[in-house]
Amino acid sequence: MTVQTQHALLAVRDLRTYFHTFSGTVKAVNGVSFDIGEGEIMGLVGESGGGKSVVGFSILGLIDSPGQIMGGQILLNGEDLVTAGEDRLRQIRGREISMVFQDPMTSLNPLHTVGQQMDEVLRLHSDLDAAARRKACVEMLESVGISRAADRLGAYPHQFSGGMRQRVVIAIAMLAKPRLIIADEPTTALDVTIQSQILKLMRQQIAARGASMILITHDLAVVSEMADHITVLYCGNVVERGRTRDLIETPAHPYTRGLIDSIPDPANRHPRLKQIPGTVPDIRNLPKGCNFRDRCPRAQALCAVEEPQLRPQNASQWAACHYPLQPGDLA
Amino acid sequence: MSDALPILEVRDLKMHFDIGGGLLDRLKISGSGVRIDKPVVHAVNGISFSIRRGEIMALVGESGCGKSTVAKTIARIHQPTQGEIRIDGEDIASYGFAKMLPVRARMQMIFQDPYASLNPRQRVRDIVAEPLLQQTRTAEERKAVPARIEALLAKVGLSVEHGGRYPHQFSGGQRQRIGIARALSVMPGLIIADEPVSALDVSIQAQILNLMMDLRDEFGLAYLFISHDLSVVHHIADTIGVMYLGFLVETAPRDVLFSHPRHPYTRALLSAAPSIKERRDVDEITLNGEVPSALTLPSGCCFRTRCPFAWERCAQERPRLADVGGGQKVACHLVEEPDRDRP
Ligand SMILES: Nc1ncnc2c1ncn2[C@@H]1O[C@H](COP(=O)(O)OP(=O)(O)O)[C@@H](O)[C@H]1O
Ligand SMILES: Nc1ncnc2c1ncn2[C@@H]1O[C@H](COP(=O)(O)OP(=O)(O)O)[C@@H](O)[C@H]1O
Ligand code: SF4
Ligand SMILES: [Mg+2]
Ligand SMILES: [Mg+2]
Repeated sequence: MTVQTQHALLAVRDLRTYFHTFSGTVKAVNGVSFDIGEGEIMGLVGESGGGKSVVGFSILGLIDSPGQIMGGQILLNGEDLVTAGEDRLRQIRGREISMVFQDPMTSLNPLHTVGQQMDEVLRLHSDLDAAARRKACVEMLESVGISRAADRLGAYPHQFSGGMRQRVVIAIAMLAKPRLIIADEPTTALDVTIQSQILKLMRQQIAARGASMILITHDLAVVSEMADHITVLYCGNVVERGRTRDLIETPAHPYTRGLIDSIPDPANRHPRLKQIPGTVPDIRNLPKGCNFRDRCPRAQALCAVEEPQLRPQNASQWAACHYPLQPGDLA
Repeated sequence: MSDALPILEVRDLKMHFDIGGGLLDRLKISGSGVRIDKPVVHAVNGISFSIRRGEIMALVGESGCGKSTVAKTIARIHQPTQGEIRIDGEDIASYGFAKMLPVRARMQMIFQDPYASLNPRQRVRDIVAEPLLQQTRTAEERKAVPARIEALLAKVGLSVEHGGRYPHQFSGGQRQRIGIARALSVMPGLIIADEPVSALDVSIQAQILNLMMDLRDEFGLAYLFISHDLSVVHHIADTIGVMYLGFLVETAPRDVLFSHPRHPYTRALLSAAPSIKERRDVDEITLNGEVPSALTLPSGCCFRTRCPFAWERCAQERPRLADVGGGQKVACHLVEEPDRDRP
């Protein structure tokens, strides 16, 4: 189904996560597959409502009623997390997979000091004694660029600025030496100079520890600077997947092309931006055939009848489109 | 109105907010006796610029640098602490509500969150008509309003049926179209747009930017366009002003600013902005630390606490926004001492 890497740390297979609401079933994630190798950064992109966060929550085992994983597998080193029990998932969260969210306060407890929250992770996920834990916490805070780290252990989250709080969250996420970090819009709330500091920090931390990352964001520019490969979601489906430079330079799916063309390009300014017409359809009421066809400049009769499957386009790219773009096609 | 006269000219504008509580909260007893503490947010600290008819000027800068406060002060939502705000030459800085009414036919504002700025209990056609109705005096004029609203809705890509619905029935992009139709209703010469596309997905953002450009071309509108997104600003603006901590640190025509940024902060912003293009080898300037508090401004240059070039003079003397030629103005001592331009 998807690009096979040498050694997949995480393999997601045909994941389906639905929400059963009064107004109908929301098929938020509807048959998503991808692989992430050791040490790789995968960007998960698409417009809001595409299902990016639900993929992240599904991997973490954090889908609650009215949501439900209806099918598929989430294989972490071969172990299926969809069928794992809550105890096992709790063990995995924090130790093997940790997370960073847009709002640092999602992960931080406002009533506990940073030191208490860091110590808690190590007590749960290591057998270090108190002195060794404290030392590890100080070193970790220093490594994410927080000065006077030993003093700051006693500070509460509100005593840090937004950018510093996100550094604390990254420090906590790294403490248990996880294999995989899921970062959901980690810099979306930050200013651009702080964003570039945090992105650089995440890249360093990932590289230094050989961890892998799923970087979820609506910002194609951010993933194109960070990710080794990119998965594009639209209405709960993967529409395209490929190595970062290939996907950005020669996108095969018209939706990917549209997203890229919508971004104003300072190096190549046109009086009018290319725009994707219309809006994302209601996910409870998707059109038959291709979900994108009402907005697609390449759509033909077949697109209204048959749902396109993800197919290889070349050595590194996969796209779900009946009429994919070839290198050189403009739209 | 002569064409030479800018549609908007702002001179030495200051907006400071007193944020002290009651007097008792502010009494501080210290060794030297009782003193009254008066915390002041220095949101905007003496900025000057002008916009010609049909021109788009963008203000960029990070959150808290005073962009929205500039917008709201010009729109006279705030009473400025100091300075002149000239619309077609007429200084409105001290105008009260009644005197502002005719000015609002010449200047309108649109906001980032179209939802928060639209009355949820009003139908779209009434929302769009509101500024226009404030300007009509005769029954005759009022009779022409419905047809005008219909035309406006069509102009921004909405239909007559949309006019009968409520704001919550629209997507973010459509709500921004409603906000634009409303601002357009009085045919103003100037629209102040505070982050009008920041909350929108990129494909919808492109639709709204195209609409705003089309309207500018059709009606010769001028915009004061506020954004923190440099690629958006590059696309839409003729002239760009870069703000930091309530100061204007650099202004220049678009292409000059992007090809020859002079202020260290502008250079840092440009090198920090992510791009879908292959990475340039090195960042020209990266910044450490964060923006200082607007409660106590640094002495000298507002940027010196994060500036990799700063030297003694920067702490002693506040640099003035000086003309460096080619329409570019820069507030930095490096302009006079270019030898120090080595980190
Ligand atoms: N708790 C929930 N109940 C109902 N629908 C939900 C819930 N969480 C997410 N969804 C729906 O799932 C879809 C995907 O959402 P999400 O993963 O948050 O998108 P993204 O992160 O790409 O913006 C959306 O249509 C959203 O409305
Ligand atoms: N009504 C207000 N009262 C007190 N402080 C304010 C008020 N409005 C804005 N500020 C402060 O003024 C500064 C500039 O804010 P703002 O103009 O909103 O910045 P920006 O739009 O660039 O993010 C900030 O420090 C902000 O907290
Ligand atoms: S004046 Fe000094 S501190 Fe300010 S930007 Fe220029 S070099 Fe940096
Ligand atoms: Mg999300
Ligand atoms: Mg603002």
